[in-house]
Amino acid sequence: MESMKQNLVDIVGAANVIDSPEVLASYSKDESFATPMKPWFVVKVENAEQVQKLVRWANETKTTLVPVSSGAPHFKGDTVPSVPQSVIVDLSGMKKIISINRQQRMCIIEPGVTYGQLQEALAKEGMTLSTCLRPRANKSVLTSVLEVEPRLNCLHQFNYTEPVRCTEVTFGDGNQIFTGEAGNGPKDLQKQWELGKWQVHSNGPAATDMLRMVLQAQGSMGIVTWASMKCELLPTIKKMYLAPANKSTDLEDFVYKAIWARIGDKLYVMNKAYLASLMGETAEEIAELKKVMPNWVAAFGLSADILLPELKVSAQEHDIMEYAKQTGVQLLPRVPGASGEAVLEKSINPSGDTYWKQTAKGSFQDIFFITTLDRTSKFIEAMYELAIEAGYPTEDIGVYIQPQHMGTSVHLEFNLPYDPNNAKEAKKVKDLYAVASREMSKLGGYYARPYDIWANIQLNKDAQSYIMLQKMKDIFDPNNIMNTGKLTIK
Amino acid sequence: MALQDLRPMMERCSYCAGCKFIPFEKIKSLRFAENCPSIGYYNFMTYSARGRFQLSQSLLDGRAQLDDTTTNAIHSCTSCGYCDIGCKITRYNLEPLEHNIEQKAYAVENGKILEGQKPLIDNLKKEHSMIPGTKKANRTDWAKDLNLKDLFKEKAEVAFFAGCKYSYDPKLQKVAQSAVKLLQSAGVDLGYLGAADNCCAGRAHQMGFFNEFKDRANANIKSFETAGVKTIVTPCSDCYHSFKRQYAKLGSTVKVLHIVEYVDQLIQEGKIKFTKSVPMTVTYHDPCHLGRLGEDYIPWEGKEKKILNQVHTWEPKRPRYNGIYGIYDAPRNILKAIPGVNLVEMERIREYSWCCGAGAGCNESNPEFSAWTAGERITEANTTGADALVTACPWCKDNFVNAVDEDGNKIEVLDIIELVQQAI
Amino acid sequence: MAFSREIYKALEDIVGKDNISENISVCETYRSIPAQTSAHYGPSEHWTPLPQAVVMPGSTEEVQNIIKVCNKYGIEFKASTTFYSTMGYIGSDFALQLDMRRMKSIKIDAKNMCAIVEPFAIGATVQAEAMKLGLNLNIPGVGCSASTLANFSSWVAFGPNSISMGQGSENILGLEWVLPNGDVIRTGSLGSGDGWFCGEGPGPSQRGLLRGIFGTAGSSGVCTKMAVRLHPWPGPADFPTYGMAPAYKADWGPNFKCYTLCYPDWKSWARSVQYFHESDVAYTGHRQFNMFGRDLKGAMIEIISNPDGQLADLEELLEDEYIKEQTEKMKLDYQIVIVGFSEKDMEYKEKAVDYILEQTGGWKSEMMLDKDKHDYALLYMTRLGHKNLNYVFCGSYEGIFGLSSNVWKTIEVVEDAAALKRKWEQDYNHIAATGGDSSMGSLSGIGGGGATGWEFFANFDAYDKESIRGVYKLSDETQKFHNKYAFGPDFCRWNSDLRRMDGYNFTQEEHNEFYKDSAQPWVFAYQYKIREAINPNNLCGSYFRTLDPKCLEN
Repeated sequence: MESMKQNLVDIVGAANVIDSPEVLASYSKDESFATPMKPWFVVKVENAEQVQKLVRWANETKTTLVPVSSGAPHFKGDTVPSVPQSVIVDLSGMKKIISINRQQRMCIIEPGVTYGQLQEALAKEGMTLSTCLRPRANKSVLTSVLEVEPRLNCLHQFNYTEPVRCTEVTFGDGNQIFTGEAGNGPKDLQKQWELGKWQVHSNGPAATDMLRMVLQAQGSMGIVTWASMKCELLPTIKKMYLAPANKSTDLEDFVYKAIWARIGDKLYVMNKAYLASLMGETAEEIAELKKVMPNWVAAFGLSADILLPELKVSAQEHDIMEYAKQTGVQLLPRVPGASGEAVLEKSINPSGDTYWKQTAKGSFQDIFFITTLDRTSKFIEAMYELAIEAGYPTEDIGVYIQPQHMGTSVHLEFNLPYDPNNAKEAKKVKDLYAVASREMSKLGGYYARPYDIWANIQLNKDAQSYIMLQKMKDIFDPNNIMNTGKLTIK
Repeated sequence: MALQDLRPMMERCSYCAGCKFIPFEKIKSLRFAENCPSIGYYNFMTYSARGRFQLSQSLLDGRAQLDDTTTNAIHSCTSCGYCDIGCKITRYNLEPLEHNIEQKAYAVENGKILEGQKPLIDNLKKEHSMIPGTKKANRTDWAKDLNLKDLFKEKAEVAFFAGCKYSYDPKLQKVAQSAVKLLQSAGVDLGYLGAADNCCAGRAHQMGFFNEFKDRANANIKSFETAGVKTIVTPCSDCYHSFKRQYAKLGSTVKVLHIVEYVDQLIQEGKIKFTKSVPMTVTYHDPCHLGRLGEDYIPWEGKEKKILNQVHTWEPKRPRYNGIYGIYDAPRNILKAIPGVNLVEMERIREYSWCCGAGAGCNESNPEFSAWTAGERITEANTTGADALVTACPWCKDNFVNAVDEDGNKIEVLDIIELVQQAI
Repeated sequence: MAFSREIYKALEDIVGKDNISENISVCETYRSIPAQTSAHYGPSEHWTPLPQAVVMPGSTEEVQNIIKVCNKYGIEFKASTTFYSTMGYIGSDFALQLDMRRMKSIKIDAKNMCAIVEPFAIGATVQAEAMKLGLNLNIPGVGCSASTLANFSSWVAFGPNSISMGQGSENILGLEWVLPNGDVIRTGSLGSGDGWFCGEGPGPSQRGLLRGIFGTAGSSGVCTKMAVRLHPWPGPADFPTYGMAPAYKADWGPNFKCYTLCYPDWKSWARSVQYFHESDVAYTGHRQFNMFGRDLKGAMIEIISNPDGQLADLEELLEDEYIKEQTEKMKLDYQIVIVGFSEKDMEYKEKAVDYILEQTGGWKSEMMLDKDKHDYALLYMTRLGHKNLNYVFCGSYEGIFGLSSNVWKTIEVVEDAAALKRKWEQDYNHIAATGGDSSMGSLSGIGGGGATGWEFFANFDAYDKESIRGVYKLSDETQKFHNKYAFGPDFCRWNSDLRRMDGYNFTQEEHNEFYKDSAQPWVFAYQYKIREAINPNNLCGSYFRTLDPKCLEN
């Protein structure tokens, strides 16, 4: 073990190799129901060269590496080692914003960069990055985009992989390449910039989309050490309207219409439990909000930047009100318990120190998958029925419907808050999570991001994909050292 | 012109697929997007104008031979001419129809014809009709009681030329008779060629039997001259095309009108008046040789000239047959003028109309292919919800009458003259 | 080497006797000829090899069975749809050509905005069916005559409306794909039977093996069905047009406008493009009619928008003072289509265009505002049905100077490229003299903007061997230019490392030589490993760039 440690020290320096029991313990579990497993070491890396050396060492020693970029707490089980004697590769210290280019609307960041850090830097250049819903304060932007956390603006998600474009990746076999357009040029960002190349195009290099090899992979294929991302212009005007409804289905026509008409820059649907969780600062406040909020709310945001902003907003406001009327919903500046403005601010800004989903009861379990909007009600009904059977209060179930990929599908998320200190309640949620995850799959829910138990559920439905995944793993991580055991590949 | 002379265009085909689809801007559905019966039925590339260009190169270079499959491919073309129109949407220097027919002539010259073509040509040569089994002696039977002037004996302003199909087919004879009566009642001074009334041989040309065509065409032109024919009216679209385009190439100066043009004119002049309502929804099929191939012949002699290094053009400027000046409005004007008739259009109309399947003798030489082609059109007609499919060509009508759509349904098929007759 | 009777019978049993042929005449028509150089590798004087047979499968199962037979007997196979490009043709003497024309169905899920298409569903038919339901699709720059599935899966597929709809790769949802080893992959949500709505995952996306910046041009098996994302079409469902062939036109009311926007210099031009990239104003954006050349475009627009127009009119029109003036004014131009979803939306977009022009010193081409020209251009840009005017001058063209980069990089070099081509036009007669600059292509090859996708057309006569050879030499010159400006392989050389000039496949040894010294050789080594995994018998030709990893071992 000591020689192993010395190897690691040789790569990253003594200060960056940690094996104190407390630290190892903190990496041995997360807030999910994943089985805890203590890692061997935690190694803090500082650059891509160290990462490559580490991966090569892992291949030689057949050691599992578990990449982690965001700060704790984690919730999906993906950073908990699945096999003994794993080494955590902590990339959260790589916090450089490598470049921001207003002309190209691009930025390049390292894995440890958080949303707050990035948005602040981008704002200075008149830009912003599309975001997932109220990310954790210490959430790695790079992990968030590689794990395809749904964006609030599906209309600009031209590519499923938006906003990430090019990356630098060290695959599990120890070879390092740039992906996307950047893979066609010299493996040196400075040289590429000198040639006028700004890592804009995500596809490729050549006839393979290497980015897709590390996408949704939970670190099981390789380690990304920078990513270029497409930014948006910082809005000069932004507004959000809320459409209340009794049933989620009452909002479907409106959502479909807004997507079709390419109007607005944010669109999502939540039930009152979810919205209350998002808005409430304390458990009590959440409980109060749930009492007054409408059962369902569609949040519709519109914005404008530098191109005739007032005219754009006035045209879009006029049109969206007309579409709302046509589809039988009321679009309001506020609903009981929340104003559109407040919902928008909560949605786009990072959470406080306590992750907002923990506020209600201390912990939670999410179940999320991809489906289409017109099928969501089927899942919601089933989820409520399963909760009733399990004795879980249906009024606590948060539901979030986020259209994605220009509206061709939606991310459907069930949020099950629970008190982690109440073993009985935790057990109930754990059981419900297991049962409901299987049931959602049976009903056609697609776990594109198959964390934890979803990997087995999803891949057992699709033997050919399972075989292909194994082939991909053999190509890019032949010794199976990257986050071994995840995705149940090997 | 020999096949070899068309080599430049064979090598300049850019494989754009324009010859296989209706003009892309006009596509309104997957179902009726395509427009080459030959590749539509046989599927292999060889059966498209683009494949035919390539096949000719292989034949001329000796890599391919005129075996049975090749011969069948060459002759399984209705010479409907759509490929020519589709090509000219974006190309200004290719003539796919001319090439297709020249390729057939190449096969004919080499003795490679289809079994079913022989009786047609034999009958043409022997009986001056392209309907096997018909006799020259019976050609004018249809006109017996019509009081038509024999132009070899007396003068008339207009020569009525029925064509083989109207002359011999008992069901169609009535249409020809109606047409004559219609014109006569409108005061038209009408005659016919009597004993000199012979097949136009246009179909022989479409089949690549150039010698047989020329023999008959020259004989007919001579008859026209002898009889002093200045204007011909015909209800047959094949005859119309032959006289207007092919005979003109051989020096004929006779004015040629299809009966729809004449009737349209007479309606506008008030000489034909409708007295009855015909409550019927109809759709109209543009016959290929009246529509896209019905444009006036414009004499031209010249050569290719390259400008701006490599831009192909012609010196002097060469006439360009886009199909747009074919006879499309006259039949529609007639239908719209008939009280009660509601005209609904199919997707493939005018210059990009689908063929009936009877062209180039395919109804005789290749009946399954021909029936499929007709069936496609019946399907399209039935899709419009029309009660009847109206056309202005006896070959089209005959082929449609015997065809069914993809679900096995038929549709009433009317010659436009029959519909006019019902309203009078 | 002809197929044995055993092989032929096996194939015939799969597709039926009407859907297979080994007749020489039939097979001869499945060879790519010099006129057909859209494959961007030449042009070549040679025909591609003669396939031993042609089969036309009618279903995924038939495709799978055919491929299994090919694996059993070691037969190279290649599927093609419209046979438009050389990429789709086989490249050896013991090979089978698959013609996918029997598979052309289109099914649309209007609510969730996608169409499930088979290989022979061309852009025009998919668009026509989509428009009936208020939807539209990204039609690649190649035009609507090309297969949607083949373009999206196997080549590049950016086009005029990629700026608002994304390019092919971005629009792929679920996909059914028969691998070269005969296995059938159904990507994303389709694999687990959950629907066509997502083509990614589960986990790392197998879709990434199908295509990258471009596809493998049929070298990774056969895609048999694909769900493509559709986009809104607020226009008439029946796509009404008017006018006479070939100059068809469209007037869909005040909410549909096509403008040719012109600028005094390239910087203004690029700044204006940046505005469109940063906004959602443009429905379509393309530098289209410059394909006729900087000097000829005014005259050519006059010809093609007139049903009686002819190339013989060109010389006279080039002397016309008005045309000359208008051509000069639209020297640095592009076309955009703006579409209003409502009156207010259109009002905003019209004003936004005016604002952009004001900010950049640009103007709308007066000639293109004429109703005839406007309506012609609107229809042209919306359906891309006249895209084969690419060939109008002499029957063939080669795309040179592939400036597929960000706009600012592109404008740095475009005049130098134009000068090189103009010099070639003046010094030799190999290509049509169109005015040097014939750059054309997407305002953005990526959804939402970010990179152009341009080429210059070099029009040549495939009947004239000197013309072919001249273009080949020109291609060498443009490649040198590309090297000088660090653009990488030129458009006209994109495929020159994928098929030999004699029409045959490259060997692995030849590929190794090409790629072992490339900037990031592991890209090609990984592609080798991918091929080994899904195409162990290497049966689909050499359009997949592969480097044996052994070449990288010290």
